[in-house]
Amino acid sequence: MEQGQNKQGQMMRGADAVIKVLTAHGVTNIFGYPGGAIMPIYDALYGAPVEHLLSRHEQGAAFAALGYARASGKTGVCFATSGPGATNLVTSLADALLDSVPVVAITGQVSTAVIGTDAFQEIDVLGMSLSCTKHSFMVTEMDELVPTLYKAFEIAASGRPGPVLVDIPKDIQIGMLEYKTPLQDRVEEPELDTVKLDDAATLLTQAKKPMLYVGGGVGMASAVEPLRKFIKVTGVPSVATLKGLGSIAHDTPGYLGMLGMHGSKAANIAVQECDLLIVVGARFDDRVTGRLATFAEHAKVIHLDIDAAELGKLRLPEVAIDGDLRQILPALATPLDITPWQEEIASLKVEHQWNYDRPGELIFAPAMLNRLADKLPDDSVVCCDVGQHQMWVAQHMWFRKPEDHLSSAGLGTMGFGLPAAIGAKVSRPDATVVAVSGDGSFMMNVQELTTIKRRKLAVKILLIDNQKLGMVKQWQQLFFEERYSETDLSDNPDFVTMSSAFDIPGRTITTSDEVEAALEHLVNCDGPYLLHVRIDDAHNVWPLVPPGACNRDMMEEMDKST
Amino acid sequence: MKHTVNLTLEQRPEVLERVLRVVRHRGFKVTKMNMSLESEKVADLDMTVESERAIELLTKQLDKLVDVLSCNASEHRVPERLVS
Repeated sequence: MEQGQNKQGQMMRGADAVIKVLTAHGVTNIFGYPGGAIMPIYDALYGAPVEHLLSRHEQGAAFAALGYARASGKTGVCFATSGPGATNLVTSLADALLDSVPVVAITGQVSTAVIGTDAFQEIDVLGMSLSCTKHSFMVTEMDELVPTLYKAFEIAASGRPGPVLVDIPKDIQIGMLEYKTPLQDRVEEPELDTVKLDDAATLLTQAKKPMLYVGGGVGMASAVEPLRKFIKVTGVPSVATLKGLGSIAHDTPGYLGMLGMHGSKAANIAVQECDLLIVVGARFDDRVTGRLATFAEHAKVIHLDIDAAELGKLRLPEVAIDGDLRQILPALATPLDITPWQEEIASLKVEHQWNYDRPGELIFAPAMLNRLADKLPDDSVVCCDVGQHQMWVAQHMWFRKPEDHLSSAGLGTMGFGLPAAIGAKVSRPDATVVAVSGDGSFMMNVQELTTIKRRKLAVKILLIDNQKLGMVKQWQQLFFEERYSETDLSDNPDFVTMSSAFDIPGRTITTSDEVEAALEHLVNCDGPYLLHVRIDDAHNVWPLVPPGACNRDMMEEMDKST
Repeated sequence: MKHTVNLTLEQRPEVLERVLRVVRHRGFKVTKMNMSLESEKVADLDMTVESERAIELLTKQLDKLVDVLSCNASEHRVPERLVS
């Protein structure tokens, strides 16, 4: 953030000041949708050196801002108007809150004189934002506008990142102000607690069976390299959460992939067996722990996180350190004498490796996704939607870094994938960006195909179609006596015809012998493409820890192919 | 278990809502509350809250709020009855 002097400032409209603050923060791309109460800001945008990408729904704009932020590490920015424009942002902001994504949302508001009169397109956006943002503001004084926007960017990206909303009434956008760059408070980095570091080091050296449980915080803290070095020095075996995928190179010795409800069997067994769990930038989510009381029940816990509120929230750790992982991890990296445990982990990994052999001519999605991962170039991003395909991506694909795998983890929002892929492609135009979706999720933000068309974005769409809301169907099959309530999607549109209406070419494949060439074309063709893959609706996601069960009690594959 | 929580807040129109939302969402019930404006910019909020959950689960969340300048909690002691 630039350091400024409080000298005589330039006079300008509030709306122009908004754009000036954005450019001062290095913002080059905005995602949004105009409307009455934000028109002065859109007027200021006209001809400004900031590129705006028009979505076709505010939720799509905000998810694109999330995708932009997650793929690049920069703060995403989105615009929406008052009333319905702002309410349409809620889901995306909640998604950014649960996944700690730095986003600044700017909403237009009716003029201050009519706030509280139920004016046209007026809703209490500040009140609405309280539960779905890290922080929020409504600007009611001209001289507060610029300092507030500076604070918004600082809050969004600092500490544990998150979404910040700034609601700006129309009269504040139109009114004149003297632009002064606010003086920034210098934030002193707290010293690391050496006593706690010593305690953690003692636990590490005493452990016979240590296990590393890595979450999204590692990527958010730019701590991937210190983490990898820590693993290399200590030799500690590791597992990752959905958001932690990519933090550890997939071929790292002792790395067992994802843990939790749909984690690998080896990962869950190893965590249950361990005597020390080192939790790095993770938060004991229920999809990770299964029954909390029996999660890693013999283990002592070292919990490292930037957010002190996560320490002791669900599991009381023996040692808790809140701080910068880039400082903590190197301080704890010492060689460990754990050869028997490393051997045990290695044999667990071999014993429970995935099996991609499937007889029959139908397409087996896990095998297809595994092939796709191998085909993707070094610079690539995979964006998921939510459901069975999301878990198959997490289980069977591999990623070079956390920014390469965008998945709505905490909120689990169907409709995330396509707009997130748009944002990812804008932030990393040279990357191969693939949106892996399901036939349920895809329709939730399908209007964003127009956004792809508008900018001729080379977003690749891999649409896995079982004509079902597959994950819900799987639970109905297993836990609701096969009463398939409202999960049949056999009335889906013809996806290839639909995408062609948006100038996106595509094809449908139905048999396994078509997969190889189709993936090759998807990855290597110029421009956007839709590969529509019909799969057997009998295939479910395995293994599975039933809700409320201990992670040791995983259900094994029980599919009957039709 | 009852606890007394003392908060110093940056005065903004929505600050009380913001605090009370966290108190409710994190599983605490307000049984007594007093707020006063110390100046144009700072407000003091004292409240008694009740929950089966550990008070740290609340205070750590309140501490994270941008408008919360300080947050202290103490176990609420019920005065002994003078006359039995």
